[in-house]
Amino acid sequence: MRAVIAEDQALLREGIVALLREHDVDVVAQAEDGAGLLRIVSGHKPDVAIVDVRLPPTFSDEGVRAAIEVRARYPEVAVLILSQYVEPVYTAELLSSGEGGIGYLLKERVGDVPAFLDAVRRVADGGTALDREVVAELVHARRGADATLDALSAREREVLELMAEGRTNAGIARAMVVTPGAVEKHISSIFGKLALPASDDDHRRVLAVLAYLRATGG
Amino acid sequence: MHAEDLPATAAPAPEPGRRTLDWGAALALQAAVSAGLGVATTAIWAVTGGGSFWPMWVWLGLALPLAVQFGVRRAMLSPAGRQRGLAVHAALFAVLTTLLLLLWLMSGMGSFWPIWPLTAFSIALLVHAWVVTQMLPPERERELADRVDVLTRTRRGALDVQAAELRRIERDLHDGAQARLVALSMQLGRAEERLADQPEVADLVRRARGEASAAIAELRDLARGIAPPVLADRGLAAAVEALARRSPMPVTVVATIDRRPPPVLETAAYFVVAEALTNVAKHGAGARARVAMALDDERLVVEVTDDGPGGADPGGGGLGGLRGRVAALDGTLTVTSPTGAGTTIRAELPCGP
Repeated sequence: MRAVIAEDQALLREGIVALLREHDVDVVAQAEDGAGLLRIVSGHKPDVAIVDVRLPPTFSDEGVRAAIEVRARYPEVAVLILSQYVEPVYTAELLSSGEGGIGYLLKERVGDVPAFLDAVRRVADGGTALDREVVAELVHARRGADATLDALSAREREVLELMAEGRTNAGIARAMVVTPGAVEKHISSIFGKLALPASDDDHRRVLAVLAYLRATGG
Repeated sequence: MHAEDLPATAAPAPEPGRRTLDWGAALALQAAVSAGLGVATTAIWAVTGGGSFWPMWVWLGLALPLAVQFGVRRAMLSPAGRQRGLAVHAALFAVLTTLLLLLWLMSGMGSFWPIWPLTAFSIALLVHAWVVTQMLPPERERELADRVDVLTRTRRGALDVQAAELRRIERDLHDGAQARLVALSMQLGRAEERLADQPEVADLVRRARGEASAAIAELRDLARGIAPPVLADRGLAAAVEALARRSPMPVTVVATIDRRPPPVLETAAYFVVAEALTNVAKHGAGARARVAMALDDERLVVEVTDDGPGGADPGGGGLGGLRGRVAALDGTLTVTSPTGAGTTIRAELPCGP
């Protein structure tokens, strides 16, 4: 897998690069700002670009804008955003910038090495990886406004959140310490209550859920 | 050492005192001399056989400078500036009027000729009085107005500095402590990986990583309390849109804002809307809310209306805090919440130059 990274904080950038290289991810180029990101993406056509939300010169949402630009110009390049905060506005913009190949994680998640690498691979493969806090916020915000979300049981809501993070059924089963069969039962119940068409494709499934959450956002 | 005591106790008191004393003594001396001259002329008149009482003209001549001096000195006691000018004018007017009336009395009370000069003097005095009281604010008032101007400017400056400082702190947290904690958490993660064969040590490292994550989360909450990132990045309208989307009830947002107001106003307006929407979510089950925001050259107005149960306590915890925040910016916060007829919270924040 070939990756590029745009992160202005050298300490963090070098750490992530070292971490990825230890796990056979080929980091082909590094940038420190949005313009640099676009340059290295066009030069290297990586599988995935790992991007910090805050980049110079404005240190505001430069990274989000650059990531959306990357998605528009090179739809085959997956983007994983790293941020120190959850900002639903930015997540929503990224999610609507194309299908799949997108992730939004809180920065501290890089400390959980296996989960972080899993997220990088999933996004590079065209899947999604949303931080559980992002998902929790989306689901939480819609509760109360929407009777159908209230109809979900606590267990089903948990499954929905894990599913929106981009986890597979096996991953959800591990996280909830239940059998994959139980997860499948929950999922079909959720799809039933939310009136979503079932599908075998993981990221389409996630996107269907997110599209539903956004659509009911009014 | 004693520098603080000296001016207060010793210096100011004697100065005006001495001056008053000098003036009083001079006036008394002049009065005594005048009285002596008057008595002398009257005696001469009596000795020379009386007749028409001519010494009264001497008395008048002697009294005039005394009266002028006395009146003007009294007038000078009023506060400096236009007020004192008017007092001097009034004192001269009184002396002149008395003089003219005495002249008329002493010259045999013929046709009342002093009416003409007195009318002219009165008009002049009235015009002067009108100018002083109406056209130009009194000195003291202008001083106060200047002071208020200065205080308004400096308070606003202080608040702007404070807002900028808070954002700088937030930036420093992000680039400093938070970044280091993230790096720490990552190093711990890498160490944990290599300790797969020593599960007990790996567990310790994992717990250390958990602590680092908790610290990062706390710093994140702290930074968000200063100003949410989307507010700093994209401005008030975008931040309020985000709030509306995250609210559990339907919220309509109407914004007529075509530029970024100063950060201190943005933040205040944002927290007004956030608090108002939180209140709707808490108390107005099934209610809908509408947020209207408008910015013109003079003020930023935000208004949050809901069709909930009303009856909100305008001084209640959150609202009281907001009121202080808005008042510090010379703004006003009004809460209209009749029972059973919804709640409107409106903040007006002046943003003139």
